[in-house]
Amino acid sequence: MCGAGVSRISGVLMQHTFVIAETEHEAWLSRRGDAYTLHVGEHVIPVALGSADGGGQLLKVGAETVRVLVASDGDFVHVHLDGATFTIRHVDPVQRYGSHAGAGADDIAEAPMPGVVIAVHVKEGQPVAAGETLMVIESMKLETAIKAWREGAVAAVHVGVGQAFQRGAPLLSLAPQSGA
Amino acid sequence: MRRIESKIDIASEEFRLNRTHNRGLADTLKERQRATRRERPARDLERLSRQNKMFVRDRIELLLDPGTPFLELSTLAANTEYGGEVPGAGIVSGIGIVNGREIIIHADDASVKGGAWYPLSVKKIVRTLDIAIENRLPVVHLCDSAGGFLPLQADIFADRYLAGRIFRNQSILSKLGVPQVAIVLGHCTAGGAYVPALSEYNVIVRGTGAIFLGGPPLVKAATGEDVTVDELGGADVHTRISGTADYPATSEEQAIAIARELVGQTPRPTKLDVEQVAPEPPYYDPDELYGVIPRDIKVQFDVREVIARLVDGSRFHEYQPAYGNTLICGFAHIWGFKVGILGNNGVLFNDSSLKGAHFMQLCNQSRVPMLFLQNITGYMVGRDYEHRGITKDGAKMIMAVSGSEVPKITVICNGSFGAGNYGMAGRAFDPRFLFMWPQSQISVMGAEQAANVLADIKIRQLSREGRGLTPSEIAAIREPILEEYRRQSSAYYSTSQLWDDGILAPPDTRNALAMTISVALNAPIGRPHYGVFRM
Repeated sequence: MCGAGVSRISGVLMQHTFVIAETEHEAWLSRRGDAYTLHVGEHVIPVALGSADGGGQLLKVGAETVRVLVASDGDFVHVHLDGATFTIRHVDPVQRYGSHAGAGADDIAEAPMPGVVIAVHVKEGQPVAAGETLMVIESMKLETAIKAWREGAVAAVHVGVGQAFQRGAPLLSLAPQSGA
Repeated sequence: MRRIESKIDIASEEFRLNRTHNRGLADTLKERQRATRRERPARDLERLSRQNKMFVRDRIELLLDPGTPFLELSTLAANTEYGGEVPGAGIVSGIGIVNGREIIIHADDASVKGGAWYPLSVKKIVRTLDIAIENRLPVVHLCDSAGGFLPLQADIFADRYLAGRIFRNQSILSKLGVPQVAIVLGHCTAGGAYVPALSEYNVIVRGTGAIFLGGPPLVKAATGEDVTVDELGGADVHTRISGTADYPATSEEQAIAIARELVGQTPRPTKLDVEQVAPEPPYYDPDELYGVIPRDIKVQFDVREVIARLVDGSRFHEYQPAYGNTLICGFAHIWGFKVGILGNNGVLFNDSSLKGAHFMQLCNQSRVPMLFLQNITGYMVGRDYEHRGITKDGAKMIMAVSGSEVPKITVICNGSFGAGNYGMAGRAFDPRFLFMWPQSQISVMGAEQAANVLADIKIRQLSREGRGLTPSEIAAIREPILEEYRRQSSAYYSTSQLWDDGILAPPDTRNALAMTISVALNAPIGRPHYGVFRM
């Protein structure tokens, strides 16, 4: 199961994923003693990063040494090397492997808690944008806005102003999306 | 950890209106704090300079390491009491850095009624020393008090948490090995004489400093002896003859320099070994909190929008993202310190209560300090919820919060009503620190609900006597109740009574949290253990 310090599960490696110029690259940095080893595909390359005289850093990749400038900015790292600048973005594995199919595909807003409708801002058939407030409900002294969870058209308003409802009751539906 | 994706449109009208409103509240807060710190009647300041004494704020500035942060606590204590004439309850309390060490300051403010201790002054000193005990924080006392405010002596003296508690707390600190340094800058009379006496080290200023159980007038009355202040308890008496004081100083400046040197002699505490990473500013600007908090306390907002503007990189690992969604739980870092966050996103239901109790146990198991972000109207009421055991599920939260060993810090971001205050680490549950935001409200129930309940009782009482009430008579009953309720549930009332450690402008919260988490790590914590969770 294990080889070269990287565990393999049915041929897939949980490596770090980086995007450089809109292309995904996978790599893994492992540590042995004081040294680091870069794993890219089948390549296993010793690497080291040290400070350089006169600013910047010295990056050793295998037998080669290059001078680099590295700047971090949130999720982005800008690397200047050989007269060119590369912007690298780390891709979060939980997001990468998450499936987007089905997200926001539900058609009905259900009551998050029992309460009373205090305002309805839309009519049946009305097109709405994602994030638009559709209805305001009140429960336990709190007003909660029911917002459009996606773009669409209002298919039905199930409860009117002043009407009480139980938790889980349908409040409002959007027309099913074509092809969803 | 992933960045929270904010859903707030910062260009929207709503955001802009909220921002204007909440900025206004923060400006009012800052102006009131400034006035409390600096504005004094001219005659009081003249008296100080005649006595050759420095203003308390200048003493503190001289004591602290230049350029280091000072987190002042309970600045607006007593703001609604004593006719507003005792700013800050006459005491300055706060956490700062002296000679590279985190310390807490208790300073008497002699520009306020000669530094006399009012009931809330005593409460503030006791709280300062409670913080020192809970967080193993060395204390520097700047002593300059006329003694207890005698017209209110009954509210100062005898009860468990009144003046005696100051000296009890000092003794406990010493027993725990947490050093105290006292600087005697004025008279320390009666009980106040014990503050320097119970400190590990003390310094006394020649000419202005004095320590005695009874001052010259009391001695004269008691025994007929004529004695001057200096002969009775001045710097030379105590540093040469009685041994009550350690170091004589020729000026306040020298006394403060000696105190700084003494703090530098104390051992540095070993911090609790919790996870720390390189700090990173939040991706979303903390200033945007002004636009996130709705203008109306009844309007719900997503606490993740608050978390995104408090934590490093706005990154948050959300625990149980699909369960009990009215309580948001998860891990994040604040200035590099790992924290477990519990934030309200609506009423507490059975599932959210269970999630909260479970998450607190996770934090305790992995020794992660907990941050509670309160915006809670309470636990859900009604037959269905009682049948499902909402009371026993709330009890589980209370059991978990009470039994927690890891440090807890609470911020009341908006509403803090009813039992929700308990389950979410309200003051009674010993959070190491508790702060409020300016617009927040705290009471056993909402003002309107309370006014309705009380008006209903009155109406029923009168209808039993066969009398009805006109709408204007009902309003006449409700209005004064509403007004009193609003006053007593405001953040200013809370901070006046020391129900909290101060009101924070929302964008300042991140830095205050970092300082308080850092000092909280001075104290050792035990293995987690709890009482019985009703299942």
